[in-house]
Amino acid sequence: MSAGAPPVLAARGVSLAFGTPPAARTILSDLAFEVPEREFVCIVGPSGCGKTTLLRVLAGLLPASAGEAHFQGRRVAAPQPDIAIIFQDYGRALLPWRTVAGNVALAFEARGIPKSEHAVRSAPLLAKMRLAEHADKFPAELSGGMQQRVQIARCLAQEPRVLLMDEPFGALDAITRQTLQDEFARLCESEHRTVLFVTHDLEEAIYLGDRVIALAANPGRIVEIIDVDLPRPRRQLETREDYRFLEYRHRLFQHLGHE
Amino acid sequence: MRRVAIGMIFPLAVTALWELAAWAGAVSGDSFSRPVLVAAALVAAVADGTLLRQTAETFVSAIIGLAIATVLAVAAGAVLGLSRTLERLTVLTVEALRPIPSVALIPVALLIFGFGQNMTGSVVAFACFWPILIVTISSVRGIDPRLIEVGRMMGLPLAKRIRKLALPAALPGIMVGIRIAAGIAIVVAVTVEIAANPRGLGHGMIVAQQSLHPDLMWATLLWLGLVGWIANWGLLRLERRWLRWFWAQREA
Amino acid sequence: MRRLASAASSVAFLTAVIAAWWLVAETKLINPMFLPGPQRALATLWGWIDSGELWDPLGKTVWRLFAGWLVASAIGIALGAAIASSARARELLEPTAEFLRPLPASALLPPAVLLLGLTDTMIVTVIAFGTVWPILLGSIHGFKAIDPRLIEVARMLRFPPLARAFKFQLPNALPEIFAGMRVSLALALILTVVAEMLSSQPGLGHMVLVAARAFRSADIFAGIFVLGVLGFLTNSLMQYLEAYLLRWRPAHSEG
Repeated sequence: MSAGAPPVLAARGVSLAFGTPPAARTILSDLAFEVPEREFVCIVGPSGCGKTTLLRVLAGLLPASAGEAHFQGRRVAAPQPDIAIIFQDYGRALLPWRTVAGNVALAFEARGIPKSEHAVRSAPLLAKMRLAEHADKFPAELSGGMQQRVQIARCLAQEPRVLLMDEPFGALDAITRQTLQDEFARLCESEHRTVLFVTHDLEEAIYLGDRVIALAANPGRIVEIIDVDLPRPRRQLETREDYRFLEYRHRLFQHLGHE
Repeated sequence: MRRVAIGMIFPLAVTALWELAAWAGAVSGDSFSRPVLVAAALVAAVADGTLLRQTAETFVSAIIGLAIATVLAVAAGAVLGLSRTLERLTVLTVEALRPIPSVALIPVALLIFGFGQNMTGSVVAFACFWPILIVTISSVRGIDPRLIEVGRMMGLPLAKRIRKLALPAALPGIMVGIRIAAGIAIVVAVTVEIAANPRGLGHGMIVAQQSLHPDLMWATLLWLGLVGWIANWGLLRLERRWLRWFWAQREA
Repeated sequence: MRRLASAASSVAFLTAVIAAWWLVAETKLINPMFLPGPQRALATLWGWIDSGELWDPLGKTVWRLFAGWLVASAIGIALGAAIASSARARELLEPTAEFLRPLPASALLPPAVLLLGLTDTMIVTVIAFGTVWPILLGSIHGFKAIDPRLIEVARMLRFPPLARAFKFQLPNALPEIFAGMRVSLALALILTVVAEMLSSQPGLGHMVLVAARAFRSADIFAGIFVLGVLGFLTNSLMQYLEAYLLRWRPAHSEG
């Protein structure tokens, strides 16, 4: 917890409604929170609470109806090179006609890095995501977990200041999910990444986060913010059996009701 | 309604530009004619029955060819669809014949039938045979295998299994193949007429062009577009209606 | 082993068909003026190859075929991309395209002859205009059918429109463009032959029609054989190209 650090990302009274006033549907209502540098913040909420929409607003993909998303003190009006987003549906977010290495290189192309440097720059990333021996495979030849690693590698190749993650492990089977959770948590710890992680799984939120923001649905609003005081590195068994973990889980569960 | 209006803007603009260019003398009247003259030629050719006669000639040839192709291709397709052995046996022969461009047969047809509807019809039949054959094979293969087993269990001979079980079940798929082939039939019929056979709409265009009547040539082209579009639309409607009947019966 | 047996049996069947053809021709069951035996057609073909008579018309036909088809491909892909990227353009042009699509491509021949005369340019133009539709429609649909998620990825990486078109939309449209190009290539061969028949420009189409007028049936069948091989080779070429360039597609999804 680095309480004094300036926020990298902030929501300042973000509201979002679709439609015109009499028939308007409010998706997000007056959300305000901050993501400080080097912190792992999780947003948890039931489906339909607008957490994916919120992530799109913060990424600059979707304009807010009222309020503003801020990145390092400036308003986010459009996508920025310092903000990367990892989508849940990895199968749709990768270019199926490019190999693993080609998908990662896409981020280099976006940054205008000369082609001769692509291989040198992507090698450590692929190694880090344990993709080195799959570099020449196409996405269709990889498992779901592997495909999601590729998307993460591509976002890291963007060298962003903050990672936005939209239920990145939600579509994976339980074992793969736990493996990726641990790998990703270690990576963020060692590199001091700033992450905003959206999930509907409150155990995942507590397990990964330094802080958990709980949203309620209709309209999406903040009902609770918990500072997670659990030792790192976290471990699947010990952490989840810690009495504080269970306490957080209890508190969040009461807010969010049944899943 | 709005969509139709917007869709009309482009062709109307082209027509207006054409007329304007002809007025200004920018394009030669010998080859381009003018929309006003084309319209007049169209009305005249419809009124004196020329276009209708040519249309009938083209369509009769196309229908003869389509009918022959349908009978042969559905029969062959049903057999090949039911028997993997026979399909494996004939695959090379089919793959050797299929890539022959249909119009390459025009000289043979000319030699055998001379000028007339049978010449066009035979080339059309060759062209339409392949799509119907392939669709029939795949529809027959797509039939629920239990249905075929029922036939075997009841001891039905092959001919009866085809007639009573395979064909009715594969009918919706085959209909789609026939509609595709119908489009091909008209295209090939006109093509044969343009290339070699002195009858029908295709030849009408050639004659108009060679006798320096560009207005009649454009009018025939326009007419051909209209007739083809209507035929296509009608077949789609027909297919939709028939298939709905099939699907409804299937679900019941 | 099974595959070998099935290949052998299908070769045997084709041989049997050719033998039957030979038998019918030998016994003069069908007037040999209409149906020459396979050995006569092959002898004629060998004569063409031996004397070098074949290469000039074959070369001209192949040149026209590919010139027209490549022009059609370039126009179809570019125009399709433009139409797909603008809802206004679609509204304006799609009804016209729908009206023109069922029009027989060969119907373009008379106006083309009128405007361009009996020339090579005329033939290539007709092939280009006549075969552009499947490619155009495939291109429009392929460019339109991109997953919105990929567009978001492109936006997040802030690719400018042109890079977005080349890195995202064009590869995404390729399967449908190739499907259109394959249909067009078969159509292009037909149009080439017809145009050559009509225009009396030297080429395979003209060659077989002249043979028919002189009642030289062996020449006709030799010509048909060459055209069949040409059809087979062009189609195979396209299939290999597709299989290689689209090798990223999952194996089970065909089409």
